[in-house]
Amino acid sequence: MGAPEKSENFKQRAHDALADPNLKTAIERTTGTAETKRAAAIGAFPEFQAARVRGAAIKDHVIANLDHYLIEFERNATEAGAHVHWARDAKEAAAIVTRICTEAEAKIVTRAKSMLGEEIGLPHALEDAGIERVETDLAEHIIQLAHERPSHIIWPAMHRTREDVAELFFKDHQPPPDADDPASMVASARRVLREKFMAADVGISGANFLVADTGATCTVTNEGNAELSTTPPRIHIVTAGIEKLVPSTDHAMALLRLLVRSATGGEVTQYTTFHCGPKRVGDADGPEEMHIVLVDNGRSRMVGDEFRQMLRCIRCGACMNHCVVYRQIGGHAYGGTYPGPMGAVLTPVLDGLAASRDLPHACTLNGRCEEVCPVRIPLKTLLKAWRVRSWDSQQEVGAVRMGLGIWGFAARRPRLYHFGTRLALPVMRLFGKGGWIRKMPLAGGWTETRDLPKPAARSFMSQHAKYGNGGPK
Amino acid sequence: MSKPKIGLFVTCLVDAMRPQIGWATLKLLEQAGCEVEVPRAQTCCGQPAGNSGDKRGAAALAQQVIETFEGYDYLVGPSGSCVGQIRSYPTLFSDPGWRKRAEDLAAKSFEILGFLHDVMSWQPEGVGLNASVTYHDSCSGLRELGIEAQPRALLEAVEGLEMRPLNGANVCCGFGGTFCVKYPEISTAIISEKTANIAATGADILLAGDLGCLMNMAGRLHREGAATRCFHTAEVLAGMADGPAIGEDA
Amino acid sequence: MSARDDIIAAVREGLKRGQGGALPRRAPAEIRAEAAALLAGLDEIRPSLVTPDPVEAFIQKCANPALGVTLDRVAGWAALPQAVTGYLDRHELPHRLAVSGDPRLSALGPGIETHAPCAPDEAAAISIASWGVAETGSVVIHSAPDQPILNAMLPRHWLVVVEAAKILPFLDDYATFASLRPRNAVLITGSSGTTDIEGYFVRGAHGPGFVHVLLIG
Ligand code: SF4
Repeated sequence: MGAPEKSENFKQRAHDALADPNLKTAIERTTGTAETKRAAAIGAFPEFQAARVRGAAIKDHVIANLDHYLIEFERNATEAGAHVHWARDAKEAAAIVTRICTEAEAKIVTRAKSMLGEEIGLPHALEDAGIERVETDLAEHIIQLAHERPSHIIWPAMHRTREDVAELFFKDHQPPPDADDPASMVASARRVLREKFMAADVGISGANFLVADTGATCTVTNEGNAELSTTPPRIHIVTAGIEKLVPSTDHAMALLRLLVRSATGGEVTQYTTFHCGPKRVGDADGPEEMHIVLVDNGRSRMVGDEFRQMLRCIRCGACMNHCVVYRQIGGHAYGGTYPGPMGAVLTPVLDGLAASRDLPHACTLNGRCEEVCPVRIPLKTLLKAWRVRSWDSQQEVGAVRMGLGIWGFAARRPRLYHFGTRLALPVMRLFGKGGWIRKMPLAGGWTETRDLPKPAARSFMSQHAKYGNGGPK
Repeated sequence: MSKPKIGLFVTCLVDAMRPQIGWATLKLLEQAGCEVEVPRAQTCCGQPAGNSGDKRGAAALAQQVIETFEGYDYLVGPSGSCVGQIRSYPTLFSDPGWRKRAEDLAAKSFEILGFLHDVMSWQPEGVGLNASVTYHDSCSGLRELGIEAQPRALLEAVEGLEMRPLNGANVCCGFGGTFCVKYPEISTAIISEKTANIAATGADILLAGDLGCLMNMAGRLHREGAATRCFHTAEVLAGMADGPAIGEDA
Repeated sequence: MSARDDIIAAVREGLKRGQGGALPRRAPAEIRAEAAALLAGLDEIRPSLVTPDPVEAFIQKCANPALGVTLDRVAGWAALPQAVTGYLDRHELPHRLAVSGDPRLSALGPGIETHAPCAPDEAAAISIASWGVAETGSVVIHSAPDQPILNAMLPRHWLVVVEAAKILPFLDDYATFASLRPRNAVLITGSSGTTDIEGYFVRGAHGPGFVHVLLIG
């Protein structure tokens, strides 16, 4: 499977994704397992629903007092010896990080997976600055070798089959892995990346939580790559969205329980680490400098508009694992940093609605995403809010607008409507053969792949007008 | 106790595509001891507009539904998604007067199966159907109205009926209203998984509580050449599943 | 204006708009009280222990195969060397360990060669955890002069000592100690692993593939 040519057009990307049978298998394997494991973890956590309500309330409280918590965090992180930077947008954030790296004359930079890093375009920015960037999360390592972007926020390389990975590793790893079974490939990556960890000048991580009352940043990983990326180098840089704040470590724990169960079905990740400032005097190890870049990039705007609840998101990925659309087309088709339902809400914020108008529309509004969301984000409502914006800003295409306009006009005039149905039904019936319509003008979207039941000869309303409650028989 | 007075909300899809579901609903309500009226001034609940982002258009239709139905004890309809839309009317109005009226109507609007079971505590009697059936949970009914146990409990009272569990019964069929014609390729991929699961049950009949989903599933099953017959659950409960199924010629 | 001032102003502007045009200034104490209230009744929002005794619950959690941990109960510090050599022998490892500067480890005895620091490809290292958490089967280490974080991350086999008296019931009980604010506080739960290739679980991704808990007392 080669890296597919990325189209500008959502429908084309979705089409390409659907045409790739490998992709479907890969998605099904990962999301299917994730769904099963999550269900088991939730089943063993009877307090889950109550915990969700509280998790949502914690995030809402933070957002409602975000200025307070930002300042408290900055004060405590600074006091612990970290340098706190602020970035209004993606470009500013990437520039701060690369500046720190260049000023430190960094040659090798290790990165522990962070979606925010992707959001601010860090991989490119570092490359442009001529710095060797080493992705240390196994999945990120895979997609770095494949020159791709993540297709899932928890399993960035989930679109790649084992055979794909073997091919990439055989080409790149010196010496290559012994075999193409996952165990030898993981061992090979461990060997190759181990040298990089120890040689890196700067380690960059994201943060799952920013703890206001201690000034610590928290990472969760299963591989241990965050600790290995942030301890040996001289400098540790954290990039984090401003919505990641929590009042205290206790609050982080309450959210952690929700996050991990929803993401991987575990109770906690193998490594949950709180990073608070640089190495202390006498410490056995740790970086000399710690920098924290707080990134806004559209978030402060969301505080004030109808998308505020989206700031609750703890990036667990459950919504995409349970999304019928995501499970068909995978992450790349969405075209933004974040895929799936949460991506369909966030991408218009980050990239503008004009460039991502399809995303909030390419959803059946079945609501399974918000049913599983551990912080009860009303994703369906937020997607509909984008549809409203799209409609109001005249971005809805002519045919849809006109069709709905005519429909609405008639539907608001019941007599006209019932008269119209009486005329239309027999016409539609002309296209039928047996009970079914296989082809009909304007219905190609339906009849291309499914038959349409022939409508009734007489509508219910017209039958009822004639026969009353007793009905035709 | 006097009979509750019901305004039957037929839904535009049932009105045009399969009136029998309307008759079944009417019959069930009467059997359960309700007085039923079918107000003439009804058309559509406004979902197509609401889901396309046309809030004004949706609100206009909502006003019409409110005016038409607020005088009844209950509004009942054979569709989880239409009733779900009606329950969401309060979000369409900022005007407190309309909002109040919307809330009042929302509070007394029910999907037929939930209404029969939860409000009327009704069980079918003397209804039989010798067939194996499987049941798909339509998303709006399931997640917006909590319709899950009710249809199954009601169907249990139908003699001769063999229920077969459907793998992924609570997963969307890919209909999604205008979604299925706006993104037909994705919709087709989704429905094809659903029909594979339906076929795997080997059931004679597929049941669901929403005609939109049923048309999608029936249409795909038929295109694939499957023999599965599709009915609305209300048709079975009303003993009206002895005639042509969805898409079958009379 | 600096980016900082811009962002804080934008957040306040957003809060004002989102709250109907007003930005009620609340005292920090009030905000703190509201935050604390969100954690009231913790038992309603956390799982109960598999068994009421925290030490027993910790042991049972560690027995969960998904964690990839083995555990030995050790009678006391004096019995530690024997337990360590027992583990090394079972895995056919030389009696050689990377250790921290913790004086309790210098007594590991003549039969075990100890050294520091931990090499990148170390076969085995040993650390003393400050706490264990019964809820999850985690151990917690705080970076310090005698607690190198890398000893827990680099070796293939990580042995970790924890005293039964230091087993806390819940994650929340550990959270209290976050106020010590070490450079790194690491909660380690089982061995390192990944499911990044087709969802297969593979142990020992970057961190140790083997974690052995020595529970003292
Ligand atoms: S929207 Fe909810 S389910 Fe989706 S990633 Fe965010 S927290 Fe998880």
